[in-house]
Amino acid sequence: MQILRKSEWEGFKKILRMSRKEVIKKVKESGLKGKSGSNFPTGLKWELMGKGTRYLICNADEGEPGTFKDRFIMEKNPSLLIEGIAIASYAMDVHKAFIYLRGEYSYIKPKLERVIKQSEKYLKKINLKININLGAGSYLCGEETAILESIEGKRPVARQKPPYPSDVGLYGEPTCINNVETLANVPLIFLGEWNNKLELYSLSGDLENPGVYEIEIGTNLKQIVSLGKPRTKPKVIYFGASGGCLPYKKFENLSVNCKTISEQGAMLGPRSLIVCGKDRSIVELSKIITEFFLHESCGYCTPCREGNFRIWELLKKIEEGNGKKSDLKLMEKLAYHIGDTSYCALGSSSTTHLKCAIKYFKEEFLRLCR
Amino acid sequence: MQIKINGKGVKAKEGETILEVARRNKIYIPTLCYHPDLKPEGRCRVCLVEVNKKLVTSCNTKVEDKMEIFTNTKRVLEARRLNLELLLSNVSYIRKDFEVAKLAKELGIRKIRFKKYVDISKGRAPIEKDNHKCILCGRCVQVCQNIQKINNIDFVNRGIFTEANTPFNIPLKYSPCTFCGQCALYCPENALRERAFNEKLVKYVENMDLVRDSKFFIVQTAPSIRASLGEIFGMEPGTLVTGKMVSALRKIGFDKVFDTDFGADLTIIEEANEFVERIKKNKNLPLITSCCPSWIKFAEDTYPFLLKNISTCKSPQQMFGAIAKTYYAKKIGVKPENLIVVSVMPCISKKFEAEKLEMRSAGCPDVDVVLTTRELGRIIEKKKIKFAKLKDDEFDLPLGLSSGGGAIFGATGGVTESALRVAYELLTGEKLKKVDFKQIRGFEGIRDATIKIKNRNIRVAIVHGLGNIREMIESGKWKKYHFIEMMACPGGCIGGGGQPRPTTKEIRKKRMEALYRQDKNKEIRVASHNPAIKKIYKEFLGKPLGEKSKKLLHTKYKKRKPKYF
Repeated sequence: MQILRKSEWEGFKKILRMSRKEVIKKVKESGLKGKSGSNFPTGLKWELMGKGTRYLICNADEGEPGTFKDRFIMEKNPSLLIEGIAIASYAMDVHKAFIYLRGEYSYIKPKLERVIKQSEKYLKKINLKININLGAGSYLCGEETAILESIEGKRPVARQKPPYPSDVGLYGEPTCINNVETLANVPLIFLGEWNNKLELYSLSGDLENPGVYEIEIGTNLKQIVSLGKPRTKPKVIYFGASGGCLPYKKFENLSVNCKTISEQGAMLGPRSLIVCGKDRSIVELSKIITEFFLHESCGYCTPCREGNFRIWELLKKIEEGNGKKSDLKLMEKLAYHIGDTSYCALGSSSTTHLKCAIKYFKEEFLRLCR
Repeated sequence: MQIKINGKGVKAKEGETILEVARRNKIYIPTLCYHPDLKPEGRCRVCLVEVNKKLVTSCNTKVEDKMEIFTNTKRVLEARRLNLELLLSNVSYIRKDFEVAKLAKELGIRKIRFKKYVDISKGRAPIEKDNHKCILCGRCVQVCQNIQKINNIDFVNRGIFTEANTPFNIPLKYSPCTFCGQCALYCPENALRERAFNEKLVKYVENMDLVRDSKFFIVQTAPSIRASLGEIFGMEPGTLVTGKMVSALRKIGFDKVFDTDFGADLTIIEEANEFVERIKKNKNLPLITSCCPSWIKFAEDTYPFLLKNISTCKSPQQMFGAIAKTYYAKKIGVKPENLIVVSVMPCISKKFEAEKLEMRSAGCPDVDVVLTTRELGRIIEKKKIKFAKLKDDEFDLPLGLSSGGGAIFGATGGVTESALRVAYELLTGEKLKKVDFKQIRGFEGIRDATIKIKNRNIRVAIVHGLGNIREMIESGKWKKYHFIEMMACPGGCIGGGGQPRPTTKEIRKKRMEALYRQDKNKEIRVASHNPAIKKIYKEFLGKPLGEKSKKLLHTKYKKRKPKYF
């Protein structure tokens, strides 16, 4: 795996001889894109930063169910991440960086602190301080603007965009928020021999060998799933909780990249695949995921707060065999409504799974309806 | 810049929101959580419009050049309706006059397809919250945090369990809440509201005839409610309804209808005397007013070092109550406990004040029942009195006679102006020719002026809104004044927590103008010229700051310790 390469801060030593603009140009040319699922070009993000006291935030709040690639990097190769943060800070003239670590990952904190201490001599060169902030367990904190609120000590709620964090971010100053995997890839760019196409996938579900795999973009679904050795014949693949799902049988030969997946109505997101076997009920799965969003909705806006609750109610009704066809219709309407009118990304993606489920497995819902 | 709304070209300025542009061009967009005084947050998602095939909230989306906006496509209308339906799915019942009810009618909601699920929670504080009605629009939270800056309520829990509550769900009674009631004033749903003061007594008031043999009912009406009561019955904001209010109260069945303006006159005489005494001794300056119980609670909770500066006078309501239960009860030969003093206030905090144990001059509470303007409106409606058609009536004597100085108590700056009128005559011994102190009128949060009275420069400051009060105290500016008027609600009592909804900045201003109009039309404009006041000092109280007035009209303050933790 290229992400496990020990770099010994060689990339950092190289960039010190380059100007800031050159660093950004190199990152832009490399084609590195955000690995959190947004696919925003990293170099461009760095270039767009506004004027003021800039901050960098490493988003290590890996809350998406079925995603654990960032944990893998932080456990196995944390110094690469710190080096990436140092390079990014140099490129954007940042002197204070934050690692926003998921609350459940608190056991990684001492390790990261140790690495930061070990690399102090490098960090001193660019006068950089790295803080580790622990999240308190909210899924919404993975959203970039909610992170800002959380670090400022407020209730995590997404902010209205625009203004974007690159202009008005943490404490009102321009802030860059990058994913762990994105930043860990940065030093590799400067070492040469970096393969742009390799990405980390988290495979989980009904598998013999779940785990993190490094896979080239465009590999088809069948190959990816077979790496994990499914226990039974896969029925449906969930792309995390918010990414929706696709039936395995129909899309076996689909080459997996963001575009192809979103064409089918789902969303690749942070490359997590939850493989569900043939004995799973799609209604039950939908209910479980809705329960997740019910728990994680922040309660800010109406559609997400009330709508997901109503969807859960309807799903329960259908699962118990009391549902009517009109209930299914209402549920579908609500699912599209929530996607349309929610305030933040959590709300609008909270029903992608249901939209896909109804799109591809309608008969199964209808079978349970009276 | 040029934008298009529903295909029609419209001009817009940069930085404006879609809603502002649409409202200016008279294009209707329904709103719910939006309030002109507050920052738009886009919580309720009712003001949706379609831009670029996406639905966005118009209240907090800024216009961009060449934007194409559609406000009435099928998709928009359906989304608005479904959102409101989701909001209302948890509301127990909706009264016709709530903002939400009007909206539901407009959007054509007839049936709600979802069931209710939350229980009612009730506390013993003057403000109660009904989770059955709350739709989490977030106005109360914003008022408490951004305007009043108490930060006592915020959203707790998340998802469907979200509710607006105090930190760690402390009962309001033990929290730093000042009961200013601004949260209730901004609530579109009556989910936050005044607690019925003492349910048994309120029932008395509603059915006075049943107990008339044993009880004698008198009512006092606060200076500011006559400028706002009409709004409940569809009148324009700023209509003075003094006469109609008096005859409505008589129709409800009160034996005597009196005026808190009388209490205000009394307060101002005591306060002006106290002020002059302190100025002469140069001790405990500045003198800070004490008419506002929310401010007193705020000081007792947060700034105990200011307590020595606060005037020891009771508020007009309590002075009136004390006089009624002692002087007036004796005069008409009724036992104090059989004299029921009801007061109609623009304020929720007055309920808290009337319940205080030290406010019992005759062995029973000085004021038995406190009703808010909204509650009085409800009683009038319940009794099926046609308010708009009532004839004008006059207050009863002697406790209904008042000066213009008492009348302006309800507006910010009124107490100061009225105190200056009396203090001028006390300090100079001359009669005041020009009674209007126009330099201290206005609507800014913190105003100050220097007034020259007989070689003395008297620096006064007027602060309204708890947020401004906090700013004033924490910046240390308060030390440089001689007299400071503090009012907890923006605009003073005319914007109080018990006033009719909706209350916006514009409406507050109109009510304020009405009060100054009333002052101008009064014959007596300085409190100390009020013959009823002169009489009461002669017959009963003796002299201002005398032994009897100290006992009846003054009180003490003490530091409050947090009880809960």
